[in-house]
Amino acid sequence: MKTSLLSLLVFYGVHSAMAQQDPIIELKEVIVSDSRLERFSNGVKVDTLKDSVLQRTDGSLTKTLLFNSNIYFKENGYGMVSSPSFRGTGASQTAVIWNGINVNSQLNGQVDFNTILPQSVDKISVRSGGGSTQYGTGAVGGSIHLENTLDFNSEWKNRLQLGYGSFSTRNLTYKTKVGTEKTALGLGIGHIASDNDYKYLGTSNKNENGSFSNSSFDMNFGVLLSSSHLLKLYHTTFLGDRDLSGTLTAPSNSNYQDINSRSLFEWVNFKNNKVQRVKAAYLYERYKFFQNKDSDQFTYGKAESFIVNYDLKYEFKNAAINGILDFNTIKGQGTSIQQANRNLFATTILFTHNPAKSLNYGINLRKDWVNDYVSPFVFAIDGKYDVSSTYAITINTSKNFRIPTFNDLYWEGSASGNSDLKPETSVQGELGQIYAKKGFSTQLHLFYISSKDLIQWLPDNSGIWSPVNVQSVYQYGLESRIALKHKFDNDNNIESQISYAFTRAIEKESSKQLIYVPKHKVTHSLAYHYRKWGVVWQSLFNGKVYTTSDNLQELEGYFLANCLLEYDMAKILGSSLKTTIRINNLFNTNYQNVAFRPMPNRNIQLQLNFKF
Amino acid sequence: MKIKNVVLALALGFLFTACNKEDDDAMAPMGTYDNGILVSNEGPFSNGTGTVSFISEDLTTIENSIFNAVNNADLGNVVQSMGFTDEYAYIVANVSNTLTIVDRYSFESQAIISQGLNNPRYFLYANGKGYVTNWGDPNDVTDDFVAIINLETNSVSGTIPVDFGPEKIIVHDNNIYVAHQGGYGQNNSISVIDSQTNEVVTTILVADVPNSMQVDSNGNLWVLCGGKPSYTQDETAGALLKINTGSNIVEKTLAFDTTEHPNFLELDGSKLYYFLNGGIYSLDTSDTGLPSQSDMQDLNFYTMVVDDGKLYGTDAKDFASNGSLIIYDLDSKEQLGTFNVGIIPGGIYFN
Repeated sequence: MKTSLLSLLVFYGVHSAMAQQDPIIELKEVIVSDSRLERFSNGVKVDTLKDSVLQRTDGSLTKTLLFNSNIYFKENGYGMVSSPSFRGTGASQTAVIWNGINVNSQLNGQVDFNTILPQSVDKISVRSGGGSTQYGTGAVGGSIHLENTLDFNSEWKNRLQLGYGSFSTRNLTYKTKVGTEKTALGLGIGHIASDNDYKYLGTSNKNENGSFSNSSFDMNFGVLLSSSHLLKLYHTTFLGDRDLSGTLTAPSNSNYQDINSRSLFEWVNFKNNKVQRVKAAYLYERYKFFQNKDSDQFTYGKAESFIVNYDLKYEFKNAAINGILDFNTIKGQGTSIQQANRNLFATTILFTHNPAKSLNYGINLRKDWVNDYVSPFVFAIDGKYDVSSTYAITINTSKNFRIPTFNDLYWEGSASGNSDLKPETSVQGELGQIYAKKGFSTQLHLFYISSKDLIQWLPDNSGIWSPVNVQSVYQYGLESRIALKHKFDNDNNIESQISYAFTRAIEKESSKQLIYVPKHKVTHSLAYHYRKWGVVWQSLFNGKVYTTSDNLQELEGYFLANCLLEYDMAKILGSSLKTTIRINNLFNTNYQNVAFRPMPNRNIQLQLNFKF
Repeated sequence: MKIKNVVLALALGFLFTACNKEDDDAMAPMGTYDNGILVSNEGPFSNGTGTVSFISEDLTTIENSIFNAVNNADLGNVVQSMGFTDEYAYIVANVSNTLTIVDRYSFESQAIISQGLNNPRYFLYANGKGYVTNWGDPNDVTDDFVAIINLETNSVSGTIPVDFGPEKIIVHDNNIYVAHQGGYGQNNSISVIDSQTNEVVTTILVADVPNSMQVDSNGNLWVLCGGKPSYTQDETAGALLKINTGSNIVEKTLAFDTTEHPNFLELDGSKLYYFLNGGIYSLDTSDTGLPSQSDMQDLNFYTMVVDDGKLYGTDAKDFASNGSLIIYDLDSKEQLGTFNVGIIPGGIYFN
């Protein structure tokens, strides 16, 4: 189904006007618990996904962000490798931050957004724009922050979610949290599996080799040793086992298994206006790729990171200053990487100041020393001015980087890594306006990014593929959003949100739009609740994307809608059971976000949500 | 999604057909795509389809995606190469594991073989049968084979297990020579298959990475070996070898420097051509040493062919957009034409 942008805007216009009577924010700019994200990003756009959005999600992080952010996702078929394009940048220019730690793969610099189960975290924030000073490599287009929260002084809470639906898709999430005055414990398990054998609309074929089974385990624990000492422990392990879908023109019989395990130990000391933290983390990633899943031949790659981090912050009346020393030692190995080692030492200074109640600015500086490449000095400056109690202006500029990965530097085999690579660097600026009053908010952000030395794999004179710092690009665009919430009475409430993003991503030499970056993306959601019943509408429009760098071939744009019907079945003694029927791809749209890789037809999922 | 291309191709096809009908030559063309150059384009790596482009012999017209235009279908992922009989063209789609058979002059699809191939590379017609080299799993050194194609039933009728990484394939008399370049690794041998028994009769040891072969008018097999590239940590020199096809013995070895990795051996008359570090070099089959001077420099070819004093080279550009075919006169070194073809043009053939 193809919908023109015009009719779409008319359609959305009607909804927005209707909902304008009174409003709220689905994704609002909030003060978040991650101390740095809260304290040192005042002039930066940070959106936190609401809890209701997280609980409604029935799939991967891709699906959550697809309908709730401006990010475009390239998925090699549903559930397969999924890479984001944030503000027109690539997958390795988007950082994923797990409880404050950058967890992008050391091997390819990316995070596959289908290897994160959103139910396993308590809070997801989308921080737009550059953040290398605070979060390191890849925080160029933006960063996604996954946080687990510790609930002290909390009674025992359990949540069990069970789902079943089309293509034998079944999922299970169980989360339990308990806290005393001095301790907090959270445990979670997640599992999603599917035969994923959806029809390729318009053909007689189906997704033959796309079944997957993903599981995760999470644990977080905190203990207050005294009023000034806090110990925290976070852990997550993800296990993925996926058959990799073929394309319309090629069958596949391959399989991909991956493990991501992350552990973080943190000690915090509070003393008057001084906060000290010591963090120690261990990250482990490994993949196995079976070209032929019936054979026991596979290729693999793995990496281990040890991170030690010392963080000292002083809070003053109108200001705060934070210094961070960070030491990482990373080892990589695999079929095509003999043995790679990296030692990285980073120094960061963050400063924020409120000269007046309505005015805030921040300055961040960072320099890394690394054994296998030269890292640039980077900075970020941001400011926020509250013009009135409802209207604010933000501004920021930053320099950011993306480092060469182990694959880029050390690959051997069918191609060759290049040890002379330098990091990609980019400078950018953003101007934002936010208007918010009770039940209504709107915002508009304009951005510009200029990047150079982008790493591209190209063959040399003798036909050997190797990465080089060759490309220069610039991106500019706007992101806008209107959100509304209205409670008619105790039985009736409505929430709605519409966002629109315009993105140009241009290769400097050819002046062509980068491939797989849509110029237009619109998302819309509408939730209406009446007593125990709820109806939720989620939709998006993706503009066309080019699939070749000369912009001669393209994928046409598409409109997608999901519809959910929710019913609160019981509320007895503090426990509740909510039933949800979800229809994905309501209009049976035949669409692809990567060429020749069809996405699912209309499908139905049933969810049961127990809270006790 | 490629509707623009299809429309364009159809429009060009129509014009070209119209042209052809006007000039009635003595030799009537055997189809729309008679008398011209065919370029096979791999297409995007991980998804999508390869295509075939046609350029008329007089270099005045070009038509892209001719298979799609004629058959309203895709050829498959990574169109690696084409092979020919008098009547038909056999198009190898590497990732799709298919061999598409078309009338070589009309490009009308005849059949598709999708069973029995695994990572197919090159097609050869010999002794009434077809032979297709297959890598199997490119990391597995034991599952490589040559598929035997029954050209009556258009199906794989048997397989010949061979050494690791069979790539280029050429025939002389009853002997089929298969160069083992080596999949994702490197290898250094030539298998000799008897086309009557379909058995490997002998294996000839050559230098590392035999990447191209030619048979000269005296029946000598010339094998160009690229040597192991530097990233293997075991860099070896390229070599040009002359093999006596009667005895299957290496008669002459012309060695390159260790850091020299030549490719694309071509034969035009008695002259051999190859590509090295952006230059074109030539020597006569009777020469006793390698040339020290290049004929042309500063070229960047994804593949090249020499025919009748002309050099045909492709530029794959950034590998994510349409490439081009550039034609040079080897005497004057002048460009005779540049044509925008499909994505990653990897094969050049004459129809």
